[in-house]
Amino acid sequence: MNAEIILYLILIPTLSGVLIFLFGKKSRLFSEGLAVLGTIITFFLSIQIILLTTRGEVLSFFHEEFRVDALSALVALLVTFIGLIAVIYSIPYIRKEVKEGLIPPEAIRSYYGWLMFFFASMLWATTTNNIIMLWVIIEATTLASVVLVAFYWSRDAVEAGYKYAMLLTVGITFALFGCILLYSGASPHIPNELDPLKMTEIAKVAGKIPKSIALLSVVLLLVGFGTKAGIVPFHTWLPDAHAEAPTPVSALLSGVMIKVGIYAVIRTVLILYPFYSAISLLVLALGIITMVVGVLMMLLQEDLKRFLAFCSVASMGYIVMGLGLGSYLGIYGATFHLLNHSLMKALAFLSIGGVIYATRCRRLSDLGGLAKTMPITAFTFWVAALALGGVPLFNGFMSEFTLFLAGIKAGHTWATVVAILVAILNLAAFVHISYHVFMGKRSSHLENTLIREVPIAMWGGSLVLALLCILIGIYPQVVYPFLNEATKAIFTFIPLP
Amino acid sequence: MEALAKYISTLSLSLIITSYLVIELRNLRYSAYAYIAQAVLMCSLFVIFATQNHNLYYWALTAFITKVVIIPYLLLRFIRRHTDREFPPLIGYLGSILLITIIVLALYRITHQYIAFVAPTPSAMEEPFRTNLAVSFTIFIMGLYCILVRRDAIKTVHGLLILENGVHLSLVSLAPLLKETAIIGVVTDVVIAVYLLLYVISGVHEKFGSTDTFQLKGLRW
Repeated sequence: MNAEIILYLILIPTLSGVLIFLFGKKSRLFSEGLAVLGTIITFFLSIQIILLTTRGEVLSFFHEEFRVDALSALVALLVTFIGLIAVIYSIPYIRKEVKEGLIPPEAIRSYYGWLMFFFASMLWATTTNNIIMLWVIIEATTLASVVLVAFYWSRDAVEAGYKYAMLLTVGITFALFGCILLYSGASPHIPNELDPLKMTEIAKVAGKIPKSIALLSVVLLLVGFGTKAGIVPFHTWLPDAHAEAPTPVSALLSGVMIKVGIYAVIRTVLILYPFYSAISLLVLALGIITMVVGVLMMLLQEDLKRFLAFCSVASMGYIVMGLGLGSYLGIYGATFHLLNHSLMKALAFLSIGGVIYATRCRRLSDLGGLAKTMPITAFTFWVAALALGGVPLFNGFMSEFTLFLAGIKAGHTWATVVAILVAILNLAAFVHISYHVFMGKRSSHLENTLIREVPIAMWGGSLVLALLCILIGIYPQVVYPFLNEATKAIFTFIPLP
Repeated sequence: MEALAKYISTLSLSLIITSYLVIELRNLRYSAYAYIAQAVLMCSLFVIFATQNHNLYYWALTAFITKVVIIPYLLLRFIRRHTDREFPPLIGYLGSILLITIIVLALYRITHQYIAFVAPTPSAMEEPFRTNLAVSFTIFIMGLYCILVRRDAIKTVHGLLILENGVHLSLVSLAPLLKETAIIGVVTDVVIAVYLLLYVISGVHEKFGSTDTFQLKGLRW
C-alpha cells in the first residue's frame, strides 16, 4: 500500500483536472469543489508519505521508476500544502475577477483544470527516478502553467506567456542534452541487468563518467534546470510570469515551481560533486551572482508583484549558495531555505494578492495606509516581509543564519559577507515596501475607494502560513527531523569518491 | 557498412541544408515545408540506422507521426489563419547567410574533430556516428541562432523545432538503446509545446497586431 501512495499522489490531481475539463463547463461549483477535494486528498497523501520517509523509508514503485525519499517527500508536501492554500484562496479571488469582467465565466473551468495538471506535473517531477522522464515532466510543469500565466489574455499577459513558454522551453532543451550526455556517459558502466535511465544507477557510477562528458553535462543541466529555477542569468522569464499571472498562480510559481527546478539540479548535478570540485565552486558563484542581481533589481521595482518576483530570484541565490557550499551544513541550510522560502513567498504573494483584490492597485505609488482597513492582510504581509528580510524570530532568519554559518565553516568568507549584505538590502527593501503600503496616510489614489478586508477563504490560508513562519522561527527544531532526513537523502544519493 | 555510412553521412549533411532553408526562407509556409523535408530526412536516417539497431524503427515511427504529420499540421494551420510573411529580420539575406555559414563551418569542423569530448564510447567516435553527432550539434546551434536573431514569433518556433531536432538526432549516437517510452515522452512534450506556443502567439497577434517579438517590450525592468 505504501508504494501505491505515489501513484495516487499523481493520479488524483490528474483525474481531477480531466473531470474538471469534461464536466466543469456548466457548474462553477463543480470545478471549484473538485479542485479543493483533489488538493485536500493529495495533501493528506503527502503527509503520509513524509511521515514514512522521515522514519528513513524510501518508497519505490513500478520497478523503481518512481522513487520517493525524504527530499522528494518534502518538495511534494510543499507542492500540496501551498497548492491547497492557493486553490481555496482562488475561489473568492477568481470569482471577483469574473464579476468585474476581467476574465470570462467559462475561463473558471480552464483555470482549475490547468491548475490540477500543474500540481500533477510537479508531483510527478518529484517522484520520478528516470532521468529522461525527469526532463519530460519538468517541461510538462512549464506547459501546464503556460495558459495560467497568460490567463488574463491582456497585452502584458500574452507577452509574459510567450516569454515564459519560449524561454523555458529553449532553456530546458539544454537540460535534455545534459540528461542525455549524463545517461550516455554512465550507461556503459551500468550492468546490463540494471536500467541505465534510473538516476539511482547513474549516481552510483557517476565517478566513471568521462570528465569531458561530466563537465559538459553539468553546464547544460545548470543552464536548463537553472532556467527553471530562476538562476541568473537565465531568470528573465521569472519577473514577467510572476507578475502577470493571477496571484494564486504567482504564489505557486514562486512558492513551489522554481523549487522543482532546484530539485532537478540537486538530483542531476550534485552527484558529480565528489569528483570535480570546480562544479561546487561554479554553483556557489552562480548563487552569489543570483542573489546580488535579484536584490539590486528588487530595489528598482515599483510594481509590487515584480518586486516579489525579484525577491524570489535573490532567495534562489541563497539556496544555490547553500548547494554550492557542498557541506552537510550548507546543504541542510539550502533545504531549510527551500522550505522557508516556499512558506514566506507564498505568504507574501497571497497577501499582496489581497491588496490587489481590495484596491485593484499594485503600484507602490498608488498604495498607502491600508493597515486600518485591512488589518489581517497587513499582519500577514508584515510577517512575510520580516521573515523574507531575515529578522530574528522568523523562519527566514534561521535558514539564512544556517547558510552564513555554513559559508564561514566552509572557508568561503567572501560569499558569506556578500550574502549578509544582500540580506541587509533585502530587509531594507521590505521594510520600505511594507511601511509604504500599510502604514502612513492612505494614498490620494484610494481616497474614494471603499476598501474592506479580504474574505476568510483568502486570509485564512495566509494566517496559517504566517503562524508557521513564526513557529519555525521560534522553534526551528520542529522541522529538523524532516530537513535532516532530506539532507541525508541528498548525501545518500551522492556517491563516495 | 561503408556504403551505409556514406548514405548516413549524406543524409546527415542534408539536414544542415534543410536547417538553412527553414531559417532563411522568408515565406513561413515554405519554411514549414522545409521543416517537413527535414523531418522526413530524419525519419529516413532513423530507418537506415534501424537496419543495425531494430529499436530505432520505433523512433522512426514516432518521429514520423509527430514531426511529419502533427507539428506541420499545427504550423500550417496557424500560418493559414494568420500570415505567411515573416516579419523582416534584423539581419538581411546576405548577412544572415554569411553569418550562419561561418558558424556552421566552424562548429562542424570543431565538433567533428573533437568528437571524443562528447562521445561516450569508442564506437561513437567512428563513422557514421561521428558525422551524425557533429551534425546534431551544428543543427542545435543553428536552431539557437534562429531563435536569437529572428524577430518573428512563428520563426522562433521554427528555430525551437530545429533545436529540438538537433537533440533528437544526437540520441542515435549517444543513446541508441533509449526506451521508446522516453522517446514518446520527449516528442509529446515538443508537440504540446508547439501547440501552446502557437496558442500564445495567436494572442500576441491579436493584441499587438503582428507577430513581431520586438514589440514585446512592455514588461522590461
